[in-house]
Amino acid sequence: MSKILIAEDEVLMLKALEFKLKKDGYQVDVASDGRQAMEKVKNGTYDLILTDIMMPFVGGMEILSYIKNDPIKKNTPVLLISAVGLENVVLEGFSLGADDFIYKPFNLNELSVRIKRYIKHNAF
Amino acid sequence: MNFFEAIFNYIGELFSERLFYFPSNIRISLLIILFCAIAVIELYFYIAFRRAHQASQQRQISYWKEHIDNVLANVIIYDETDDINEIIDHFYPKMKKIPLRNAIVNKILISEILTYHKNFTGKTAEVLSVLYRKLGLDKKTKKKIKNKNWETKIEGIREANEMEIIEMADVIIKYTDDEHSLLRMEAQAAYIKLSQNDPFHFLDRAQERILDWHQLVLFEIITKNKKLIIPSFSKWLRSTNDTVVMLCLKLIDHFMQFDAADEVQRLLKHHNPKIIKKSIEVIGKLELEDAEKHMFEVYFDHSDDIKLEILSSLGKISSGRYSDFLSSRIYSTDMKIKREALYAIKRDTDNGEKKLKEIYDQTTPENQALINHVLDSRIK
Repeated sequence: MSKILIAEDEVLMLKALEFKLKKDGYQVDVASDGRQAMEKVKNGTYDLILTDIMMPFVGGMEILSYIKNDPIKKNTPVLLISAVGLENVVLEGFSLGADDFIYKPFNLNELSVRIKRYIKHNAF
Repeated sequence: MNFFEAIFNYIGELFSERLFYFPSNIRISLLIILFCAIAVIELYFYIAFRRAHQASQQRQISYWKEHIDNVLANVIIYDETDDINEIIDHFYPKMKKIPLRNAIVNKILISEILTYHKNFTGKTAEVLSVLYRKLGLDKKTKKKIKNKNWETKIEGIREANEMEIIEMADVIIKYTDDEHSLLRMEAQAAYIKLSQNDPFHFLDRAQERILDWHQLVLFEIITKNKKLIIPSFSKWLRSTNDTVVMLCLKLIDHFMQFDAADEVQRLLKHHNPKIIKKSIEVIGKLELEDAEKHMFEVYFDHSDDIKLEILSSLGKISSGRYSDFLSSRIYSTDMKIKREALYAIKRDTDNGEKKLKEIYDQTTPENQALINHVLDSRIK
């Protein structure tokens, strides 16, 4: 069973994403702020990481940067969730190695399909 | 007899038997002490009661929040193949059991539905909208909008805006020109989204100012809403409200509305310098050649700030008809005017650099240094 980490500071969104991904058959781990997420990333192994950009203590970009600079974890797909589609934010995300961007508001089923694609692609 | 019993007996004896034998000043003092003691005890009871009530309310909030969280999280995790009506038929009875008459529960439910609706699109948003109406929450929103308190009104307008209760547009329009600036702004933002026939009607009746930062908010809403049919904003350029004219100029600029050319040129004679400056900027952006003559006519009537904008716009248009005028600006005493005029000449891709070199040969060393600066491609 593939393991996913969701890092999102908005409790409602975190719960919705957790419910959805569990329903899709993934093992889900959650973090409600950036510091917690960073701890989990350092100590665990995940098949995909879904993280919000704006979070207290540690932002999504820092988590992304840590993963992509770690020789063991660098192949883990990272999907960034953002409420703003500012060009410089998107460019920074992709230049740091983000695999995809999800803009709020988004379609949960579309997110589910994207995640499935990244996990399948990474398995080979 | 223990200590407390002795104290109570003493107090009882003091106030029932001995009180009448004391001089009046002692009696009054004792009565004041008695009153204060009772007040303190009452206060302690009141605090204890309030704390117990708050704790019970907090427990209630936590319980219902958890319950509503779970119900809603289940509502939104349907499959794409599921039928909306089936989802609603499945969850409506469960949600109906939530005590919506309880104000706290009602508030939690509305806030959570709004949060999900704001963050998700597609079927999730549709299902939430239908449930919102089926649960009668839209009626509560309507009541809030009609409430006398402006904060409640704003809360209702925000709910109507997020849940797209379009029938409320007719009620909201009257608040788009309200004296209260916050209410006015919320109403304008909501009206654009909710009005089906004429989302910009509020501009026709706007007498109150649209504040600068709210113009930014409206600009964002108008330019990012893909469902909006964008009208020609030139029809509001004759508005008596300067802030409406300003907002429309920004929108004409963004949507590159060339049909507004005549009306924008007319604004060169407007009484408000900010509007004149913005209209010159729009003329430059739209490269309206016909307006060059009018800008030249008014050039000497205005402040340096507007003169700089005219020079910049003449540069953007670059028809070449005013290159002699631009060259003559080198004799200005103002360095900014000189520099802007030289940049304007340079923008003429056909003859600009040649013209600058001609000026270079005939001018002072100080101006030559400035021309070198303008011609340096490393400096933007």
